[in-house]
Amino acid sequence: MEHLQAVILGVPLTLLITFSSLLIGAVGGVPLVLGLRSRQIVLQVICRTLVDLLRGIPAVVWLFVIYFGVSIGAFQFEATTAAIVGLGLVSAAYMAEIYRGGISAVHSGQWEAGSALGVGRWATFSRIIGPQAFRVSVPSMTSYGISLIKDSSLASTIGVTEIVFLTTQDARSNAGGLTVYIIAALVYLALSIPLALLARRVDSVLRKKVSR
Amino acid sequence: MAVSTLPKQMVSLRGVSKSYGDKVVFRSVDLDVAAGEVTAMIGPSGAGKSTLLRCINMLEHPDAGEITIGGKTIAAGKSTSLKEIEALRRKAGMVFQHFNLFPHMSVLQNVSFAQQRVLKRSKAEADKRSRALLDRVGLADFADSYPARCSGGQQQRIAIARALAMDPEVMLFDEPTSALDPEVGLEVLAVMKELAKEGMTMIVVTHEMAFARDVSDRLVVMADGAIIEQGDPHKIMSDPEHPRTKLFLRAVVGR
Repeated sequence: MEHLQAVILGVPLTLLITFSSLLIGAVGGVPLVLGLRSRQIVLQVICRTLVDLLRGIPAVVWLFVIYFGVSIGAFQFEATTAAIVGLGLVSAAYMAEIYRGGISAVHSGQWEAGSALGVGRWATFSRIIGPQAFRVSVPSMTSYGISLIKDSSLASTIGVTEIVFLTTQDARSNAGGLTVYIIAALVYLALSIPLALLARRVDSVLRKKVSR
Repeated sequence: MAVSTLPKQMVSLRGVSKSYGDKVVFRSVDLDVAAGEVTAMIGPSGAGKSTLLRCINMLEHPDAGEITIGGKTIAAGKSTSLKEIEALRRKAGMVFQHFNLFPHMSVLQNVSFAQQRVLKRSKAEADKRSRALLDRVGLADFADSYPARCSGGQQQRIAIARALAMDPEVMLFDEPTSALDPEVGLEVLAVMKELAKEGMTMIVVTHEMAFARDVSDRLVVMADGAIIEQGDPHKIMSDPEHPRTKLFLRAVVGR
């Protein structure tokens, strides 16, 4: 049981990293997707490059770059902050793509209805297309969120004392062996399954309201 | 209907052309619609009727020509600002084949949204007008429902109320009953007849021959990218001049 105790001590940081970077991603994905869909070619190319770099380079590399690479004068990221920023940026790129899919899933007649009523492009996007696109995006977002719970373990590589870091430490020092890792696996399941259930519930509620 | 000797032109198209790449949809079309006039546009599929209608409020940008609605003119080819296009669109209400209601808004919000956003009416003002219009199309009890809960015919009547809420000078109908069961279509046609009687200027692209014959003041027949015949609906229906019109009418009426 002392193994379980050791592993559980990592839960708060795992959750903090997961939800903070998910939030950064959900918010940061919005300007990125606007850039991707922009008619300004320069903006479009910048955002496309950014998204491709963030998605194409392994998240663990980003964490190293941010933790060890970025030091402006006396400024140095603390490990947890570096993990949140790194995973947050990567999440923003994935979210932008999820949103893009959601936006193109909204029927073009919705844009036309907005235009025909004289509603401006921005208001049509923010009040008509956006909310519908968001609803379409919810399942993909939650499934990304669930995989982010696991990906937050990458933070252990830069010394953040989340679940995997503490598990490894316990396995080494207290001769926990495989048992500790199995306990860690069960803790991850206990975190992700409720989230999956909640996501399914939210999705079916939203679907009921807009189904046609 | 009181028709003066020189009716005011509400909509006029001059030399309007549209192509998609090599495919010419229509070439150099002229059309005049007087205030209070109901014009029905019929013709075989692919004749360009819907595209022409969508050019009138610039949902499709014509390649050439001039479009005037209620004194506001836009010429194709010249760089036109979005502001000008929006000003033109404000004069025209549009009803789509597939309704295009906003599924995430209640029926009331559907009708009120653009009033608040575009006409800057207060929420109370907009809702009051919306309820009056919903009542007029027979759907006062549906204000708080969502579109998904309404039948196709009801959704189309809501869409008509939504367009009317903007106080348009002309209403454009793009095959408003084509996605509906014939029986359900009747309730939409009844609302449209009512509008016509009240003197609304209307341009209706339709396959409803009875509506075209009995309600419209003028029939426009389009085929192969041009207006091939136009005039009194009864006359054209009983005695078409153009052989293409004869062919088309035989297919839709004499079946």
